[in-house]
Amino acid sequence: MPEQSPSPTGSPPRPPSESGGGVAATPEVVPATDAAGPSPPDSVPEAEAAGHGRGLGVMAWVAIGWLVLVVLLAILAPLLPIPDPVNDIDTNAFLASPSSGHLLGTTSDGHDVLSMVIFGARASLIIGVGSILAGFLVGGFLGILSGYFKGRIGGVIGSVLDIFLAFPNLVLALAIVSFMGQSIRNIVIALAIVSAPVLARIARASTLTWSEREFVLAARAQGARHARIMWREILPNVLPAMFSIALLGIAVVIVAEGGLAILGVGVKPPTPSWGNVINDGRSDLADAPWITLAPSAAIFFTVLALNYLGDVVRARFDVRESAL
Amino acid sequence: MRVIAVKLVRLVVVLLIVTFLCFLLMKLIPGDPVDKVAAFATPEQKAVIREQLGLEKPFFSQYWSWLSGFITGDFGRYYTTNGAVGETVSSVMGQALPVSGLLLLYSQLLALAVAIPAGIYTAYKAGTRVDGVANTVAFGLLALPNFVLALVLVIYVGAQWKLLPTQWAGDPGVNPMLQWRYALLPTISLAAGQIAIYMRLLRTDMIDTLQEDFITTAKAKGIPPRKVLLRHALRPSSLTLLTVAGLNVGALIGGAVVIETIFGLPGVGRRITEAILAQQYVALQSFVAVIAITYVLVNFTVDILYSVLDPRIRNARAVT
Repeated sequence: MPEQSPSPTGSPPRPPSESGGGVAATPEVVPATDAAGPSPPDSVPEAEAAGHGRGLGVMAWVAIGWLVLVVLLAILAPLLPIPDPVNDIDTNAFLASPSSGHLLGTTSDGHDVLSMVIFGARASLIIGVGSILAGFLVGGFLGILSGYFKGRIGGVIGSVLDIFLAFPNLVLALAIVSFMGQSIRNIVIALAIVSAPVLARIARASTLTWSEREFVLAARAQGARHARIMWREILPNVLPAMFSIALLGIAVVIVAEGGLAILGVGVKPPTPSWGNVINDGRSDLADAPWITLAPSAAIFFTVLALNYLGDVVRARFDVRESAL
Repeated sequence: MRVIAVKLVRLVVVLLIVTFLCFLLMKLIPGDPVDKVAAFATPEQKAVIREQLGLEKPFFSQYWSWLSGFITGDFGRYYTTNGAVGETVSSVMGQALPVSGLLLLYSQLLALAVAIPAGIYTAYKAGTRVDGVANTVAFGLLALPNFVLALVLVIYVGAQWKLLPTQWAGDPGVNPMLQWRYALLPTISLAAGQIAIYMRLLRTDMIDTLQEDFITTAKAKGIPPRKVLLRHALRPSSLTLLTVAGLNVGALIGGAVVIETIFGLPGVGRRITEAILAQQYVALQSFVAVIAITYVLVNFTVDILYSVLDPRIRNARAVT
């Protein structure tokens, strides 16, 4: 059976040179840093070195460092010496520009922007990681199942996934959240529903190639059951591909949260999220651009780091079939 | 022809299911949908609305009556709190669709206009410093959400330097995308990410093509590089790009929704936001359905065009 086409109406099979139009990047076009870093003195591009050498490269460590910093700040937010983003109001500083008292300024309500961004990371990360985790489990399960049983089961699952892919992602998420009500839980559900078919497609494509291999045949010949083959033989090989896409997926979801917030169906205020703070600042763009710029920068650098690491993982495991 | 017939049947099935899912959205509302649709209506008005929505009828006949209305262009009406007859959703849609359509068209054209020369040049100069800088910029653009770029443009070009207006406050019947002062910033915001995607795609494909024998032959014949690149290499390298550009029209719809909201353009996106805030679920349902159907149709068209353009695909698909 030919590879299931990714779109419901059957988009054309793409030549291998093109690996997905979205955030997915071909390893070789990762920006090369001129800094030699710990890698050998010959100027091997960073991602290439990461792919074939041992070290991760300076840029990858910078990216990891940024993500660790964001996660730590988000976890430790209540312990940090910063004002509470909801309850603490500085009545002396409405729309104050960045200063030593408020490093990133304040909002029109006198809230500290830095603290909103740090606390906002919690909601944004919960949404990003939560929905991709759910999408990863559901999509991975369905994808491996449909790739392994190529016949009727695979066809049915594939068609159902295609139907979900027939909606523009953000619009589907928007519809689900606005009809179900805006809460972090519903946003996670909506974005998980959106991301599961994409992750399933990756898992399916990967499973299709791996299940043709000799070791699968050998396992089958030894009398291993389907569940065991899928769990022990196929899953470990499919994971790297899914993991690299999941990293990109978290980035996409964090951006999607921002989009939903601007459309008015983000996390319900006053709970801050990066998208919420951006949207909060929209009414004061002329007078207090820092309210919007600070969380925007947080999103940008986080997405940049995730994209870069996704590419490094892809280069390392030579992931080919990926289209997000 | 048989292949196309099979695809048409599939298309109809997909459209039926997609509209069914849109119809199901109404069922996601917790509690009584009528309370949400018209929160302030009197019990009598609620009874009328329930009748209009057909909530008393069996499930599939509800779907059928909604679908038959939808197909004939009857998308229902906006609800009003005072019991007056609301605006029809289809008239609002008629004004909103051209705005969103032009926004998508402009940004695709701009993206291709920048990405094609950039892709050709970086492929030609692959491995050089220029190439490295261009790729770094492209990698950065990929991480820049379109709404962030839009807001940065609003802050600097609009608020600080006061070069261009950033909020459309005109007549909703006038299409702001026909005025370049209003069209420019939204178009740039939506195009930027696409430029990066397209440039990288074309560059990769061009580099592959440039290693082919016929390119070596062309160079050996003494044809100037410019001609080799444009006449010989571009065409075989551009097929993937065009496909992805086509498919992206659908994917861009989500981005356009957000961009319209930021710039206050009276397109579909803006109408959706309004419908959410005002809890106009009937209108919202129709908007979502129209977007999903457009998306499916665009993908279908690209698919057909692609198989017409590339004989290899045409034949390969005929086998399946």
